[in-house]
Amino acid sequence: MAITYEPIATTTLGSATATVTFSSISGSYTDLVLVTNPLGSAGNYDLGIRLNSDTGNNYSWTSLRFNSDDSGSPISDRASNTNYVAMKTNISTTIPFPSIIQIQNYSNSTTNKSLLARSPRGDYAVSAIVGLWRNTSAVTSVSISLFGGGSANLAVNSTFTLYGIASA
Amino acid sequence: MAINRTSPKKGKIIDIPTVPTIGAATAGAGSASVAFTPATVGGPAFSYTALSNPGSITGTGTTSPVTVSGLTSGTSYTFTVRGTNPSGNSEYTSASNSVVPVVATDFESIATVTVGGGGAAYAEFTSIPGTFTHLQIRGIHRNTPTTPGAFYAIKYQYNGDTGSNYTYHYIVGTGSAANAFAGTSQSDGWAGVCTSDGITASVYSAGVIDILDYANTNKYKTMRLLNGTDANGSGEAFFMSSLWMSTSAITSIKLYPNTGNWKQYSQFALYGIKEA
Repeated sequence: MAITYEPIATTTLGSATATVTFSSISGSYTDLVLVTNPLGSAGNYDLGIRLNSDTGNNYSWTSLRFNSDDSGSPISDRASNTNYVAMKTNISTTIPFPSIIQIQNYSNSTTNKSLLARSPRGDYAVSAIVGLWRNTSAVTSVSISLFGGGSANLAVNSTFTLYGIASA
Repeated sequence: MAINRTSPKKGKIIDIPTVPTIGAATAGAGSASVAFTPATVGGPAFSYTALSNPGSITGTGTTSPVTVSGLTSGTSYTFTVRGTNPSGNSEYTSASNSVVPVVATDFESIATVTVGGGGAAYAEFTSIPGTFTHLQIRGIHRNTPTTPGAFYAIKYQYNGDTGSNYTYHYIVGTGSAANAFAGTSQSDGWAGVCTSDGITASVYSAGVIDILDYANTNKYKTMRLLNGTDANGSGEAFFMSSLWMSTSAITSIKLYPNTGNWKQYSQFALYGIKEA
């Protein structure tokens, strides 16, 4: 049986960057896994995912999370008709907000694309997000940005690795 | 320049090979594949050797490409290639492009079930080898219930066990509230939420299930799960752990919706994970 979990590309930021994009993604895998470890100017931002550079209101998400800003209980919220799938972060210049984002069956052309993400930050929060991109196109590019709070940039030393998983 | 020499084996005079033309190097798991084009003049090469820089690690083959193994993952390498025959070696080519071998992972595909146009009552993996440490099931799913328009549950059974030997705990986010549930002595396991007909077309749930230490024969079996559906205004995000109270090694897994059938394009892929 072949090894089926392969890194496709890795980026470590050498300077502050608004958006990191993995493009020309091969359709030869079954799922994509994006492992992010972003840094940024301190604040509450959305770590936003866009697919195929689609900036339309074609995304939505549902979250389950517990963080230090909440009143002792986990919460769940959602947003519809957004222009990215959001993971709520409390990012800083020194403590990353690692996230693992799974894009299931990304290359089929028959279903909308569902995303699963989990974003732990040991000193602050744990969360799970399920997202949707209402498009049946194969995913060929994935972009990551910080949204909210003005012109937030992903900071130097942020890392992003895209993996492909191929099934039998 | 080609030099005529006498082959020690056949006593036939042949030229040493002319230098080949380097092609593309491609990274693999702790290895690299080095392509080249043989020279069309000079003596025939009986074999080709690719040489790494750094490390001077070699790989040999008779045709392009040649694989060089034993490379360090994360290190950048270039390669040169030369041809060899009994009269001697060609010069090395110029250096290839640089490549960085990847880490050799132990994540292997075992089997995949994709539901066809007629739907399916369940997806099943049988004869699962016990050669891995953990199992992972990844997939998208949607069902066709008798009463459409709601979210349904994914169920599972190990080894065909229908006894009351399953337990679970989960926390679910509905978009407006976070709730937690538990069940004991269940006749099957729960594995998250499933989108159904009656909810936005083409929206499928997604899930990742880890079944830990599945082949041991001295512990109960624990499963953990991240699963969910978002349907642009409805949906659930789902964290779960569950237990199968059996010390048997897991050799088969059946996944099915709690009502109706799996819909076309639902897919379940089983992977094995090995620990070093």
